Amino acid sequence: MSYAIETFDLAYRAGKHFEIRDLGLKVREGSIYGFLGPNGSGKTTTIRLLLGMLKPVRGTITVLGRKVPDEMARILAHTGYVPERPHLYPYLSLEQAVRYHAAFYEGFDMAYAGEMRRSFGLPLDQKLSHLSKGEMGKLHILLVLAQRPNLLVLDEPTDGLDPVVRRDVLSALLDFCSQGSATVFISSHLVHELERICDWVGVLDNGKLVVELPMQSFKNGIKRIRVSGAPSLVGDTPFVLLQRETTGTEQVWVVRGWQPPMAVWFQGVGAAVKEVMDLDLEEGFVELLRSSRAPVS
Amino acid sequence: MYRQVLKAQWLAARLPVVLLAVLAFALPLLTVTSGSGLTNAPVERVGQWLFAAQQVGVLIPGLALLAGLLLGIGAWVPDHAGKHVYALTLPVPRSMFVLLRFAAGATLLAIPVVALGVGAVVATLSVSLPDGVHAYPLQLTARFAMASLVCFAIFFAISIATKRAALATLGVICGVLLADAVLASLSIKDAASVTASVFYLLTNWPGPLSILMGRWALFDV
Repeated sequence: MSYAIETFDLAYRAGKHFEIRDLGLKVREGSIYGFLGPNGSGKTTTIRLLLGMLKPVRGTITVLGRKVPDEMARILAHTGYVPERPHLYPYLSLEQAVRYHAAFYEGFDMAYAGEMRRSFGLPLDQKLSHLSKGEMGKLHILLVLAQRPNLLVLDEPTDGLDPVVRRDVLSALLDFCSQGSATVFISSHLVHELERICDWVGVLDNGKLVVELPMQSFKNGIKRIRVSGAPSLVGDTPFVLLQRETTGTEQVWVVRGWQPPMAVWFQGVGAAVKEVMDLDLEEGFVELLRSSRAPVS
Repeated sequence: MYRQVLKAQWLAARLPVVLLAVLAFALPLLTVTSGSGLTNAPVERVGQWLFAAQQVGVLIPGLALLAGLLLGIGAWVPDHAGKHVYALTLPVPRSMFVLLRFAAGATLLAIPVVALGVGAVVATLSVSLPDGVHAYPLQLTARFAMASLVCFAIFFAISIATKRAALATLGVICGVLLADAVLASLSIKDAASVTASVFYLLTNWPGPLSILMGRWALFDV
């Protein structure tokens, strides 16, 4: 299995209160990887580490098979990056910004950029400082997609955009992905947005990777289970127990990695499964974060 | 790549560049405002005129300093505003990007230099010089070009430096001033002023600012 992004034992510290710890990401080539996490969890910092903008205190980073930061220029030649906040020069017109950007990328597809500009309805001669937030978001997507990159790194690309623009941006992204085999690494705290497009998901909280698994497992594997006669001490379980609450004579368990045959385990410990409930992705995400902050004994 | 960087830098700095060009064109012309009828004028009047012209010449290194300051600092303003994220994610080595920015800024510097050259030639052609007085338009332009480039390089380096480097520079300046204050408070006779010594080192050959010193005369004997 080859990975577009691979980090090992990555650590970074910013000030006294924030650090990335033992980060081991594995982003498969061709996947659309959702990098989830609450605000301030370290998503943007991780992306900046991946793109060589920050220097880790420990660990290794490999992007597109090349070492960061030794081969940064080569990596960036095949990587499209949309930052959290717009960073293009505001005094340029849209056309000037496209030409400026294109000058740095050998394979920049000017025809595709023009096509996308028309479909996004972006005005060619408008100064970037006069573009709306939505137009700026579209321009960023246009620029990185026209690069024809092998890897797209998108840092909250739809944050603050209205639903119509968000849909346009995500559609363009999906269109691009369907045309080739690019890997997409997209960070967001909007769980539902990633649910639609991602096939892998990694959850970061407080600088630590909580979980990394296929989206399907994430969606289907987290359940809320009503249990009667549950033991007070839980030993080894075939699933991951995230949360446990007592309600009257019963307990409600939130588990990850659930599969129906696992109900047998409850019989073995003298308990009974009363009901298995699906959690939506957002609930699952919240439960994951809760359990990572206060692990169940 | 260079063309696009130059174009972007021109769009960001065109107002100061045009302003500098106008000033650079006007300064040599100022030196000849009272230069009519000099051919047969008495020596005293020629001397007075030369002195007045050379007084105007003092402004030229000031203009070189201003050009270096505006273009050197201006070269990085757009990147500072975006915390350098865009520049850092472009697929070129950092040294290459710095070189591109420097080359573009130095190219823009040519506009006020050419303006000063044209102004100097026009000024020279507009006066009839008495015997023994010579015009040096090319030499003045070349010196202005060199002085502007030196100032540009200095401010470019200061502007690109990290906060830590800026603080270190500020620390050195404060250290020099403090050393001076301590020496003054101790009332040590014959103790050289540290500030004056540093200024001397910087403004005398091979100090980087030595090019700004001395006489900047378009006309001289």
